[in-house]
Amino acid sequence: MTGADTCGSHHCVTCGDDGVPMQVVRVDQVRGLALCEHDDGQRETVETALVDPVAPGDLLLVHAGTALIRLDRAA
Amino acid sequence: MKFVDEFRDAELGRAVAMEIMSLVEPGRHYKLMEVCGGHTHSIYKYGIDDLLPANVELVHGPGCPVCVIPMGRVDDGIAVANNPGVIFTCFGDMMRVPGSDGSLLDAKAAGADIRMVYSPLDALRIAKQNPDREVVFFAIGFETTAPSTALTLKRARMEHVGNFSVMCSHVTIVPPLKALLESPDLRLDGFIGPGHVSTVVGARPFEFIPADYGKPVVIAGFEPLDILQAIEMILRQLAGGRCEVENQYKRVVPWEGNLRALEVMADVFELRPHFEWRGLGFISHSGLKLSERYADLDAEVRFSVPGVRVADPKACQCGEVLKGVIKPWECKVFGTACTPERPIGTCMVSSEGACAAYYNFGRFAREREVV
Repeated sequence: MTGADTCGSHHCVTCGDDGVPMQVVRVDQVRGLALCEHDDGQRETVETALVDPVAPGDLLLVHAGTALIRLDRAA
Repeated sequence: MKFVDEFRDAELGRAVAMEIMSLVEPGRHYKLMEVCGGHTHSIYKYGIDDLLPANVELVHGPGCPVCVIPMGRVDDGIAVANNPGVIFTCFGDMMRVPGSDGSLLDAKAAGADIRMVYSPLDALRIAKQNPDREVVFFAIGFETTAPSTALTLKRARMEHVGNFSVMCSHVTIVPPLKALLESPDLRLDGFIGPGHVSTVVGARPFEFIPADYGKPVVIAGFEPLDILQAIEMILRQLAGGRCEVENQYKRVVPWEGNLRALEVMADVFELRPHFEWRGLGFISHSGLKLSERYADLDAEVRFSVPGVRVADPKACQCGEVLKGVIKPWECKVFGTACTPERPIGTCMVSSEGACAAYYNFGRFAREREVV
């Protein structure tokens, strides 16, 4: 077994200093969670407390199940 | 894909490489450290070092959170996992890190209930699904990952999940950088700063590097063009006699970081007086533990943790690799006794470890031709 096998990609996204861009699909405002989708269609429940409020369509940088920053800030 | 494709453009990459070529002084050797394991991985995946002049050397830093976990800490994790009724959860790469008597994966094979998760939130979900079991999350990682653990602990409290606890092995990025800068056997010219750690802590914590040590820092993204541009920015600072913190990764990293994340971390964690790093030894105020307010969710309070210190294996030179003193292939056991399938040292375990990156991408070149 290699790191690639355990993490499902060539790069271990859970443990490194690595974030993944994901798009918000649905928001559970009461629980502070959002269902987000990766570019390849993979979906994940994400903590949004650090970037709230979020809405469907927003683009977030997600690491270990938590959105760290919004990627749609005005550049 | 937005934010990705634009930064893999080969033509632009070659143009930046030419720019780099024009900035280096012949006869001067440049040693730049990429702090983050994610950068190490990208550099070897995309062959970025092959685009650089021979006198620009990239040194791989201590920024892989798996690689810096000492053997004794793995032993502590296995001791907690072996408690009856415990479900022990951790990230995938952590399962293969060798302790003094096998890894968490070996302990799982011997009967302990150890499960891989992708996030602390997954571990909390397992706790909710198994109310009659004690679920422990083995938390590792730098400031990128620590907010996720902190938010999950807050959620556990809010949702009254009493059978969940965290064994905290989070570390902070600045103390090991200070230790490296104080190290007499390492002379560096500049740093490629960590991209996603900086989304949380911002750029300010790195200002001591130019201020106290006179070295440039450029915070960089993870695509090939990001890294090339960061190298170009460092070399431009050196050529112009400047040293400051610059942010190449502005599209993601705000200068001040994420203040909400810093507040959550300050509430849930406090600094340990010292924490042991594999290969680097004990570094003051470099590790996090749960604060008094969250002591009831601390696995080290809930379970007995041996806390035995185990010396690194003699054959393993992870410490020198982590400090950038030797290249992975210069280690005595690289690719022979130590491989990703049977790692001796942690740098060979994680896909972000310098040794695994060298091994997996076939980077065995001993010398590069001088351009």
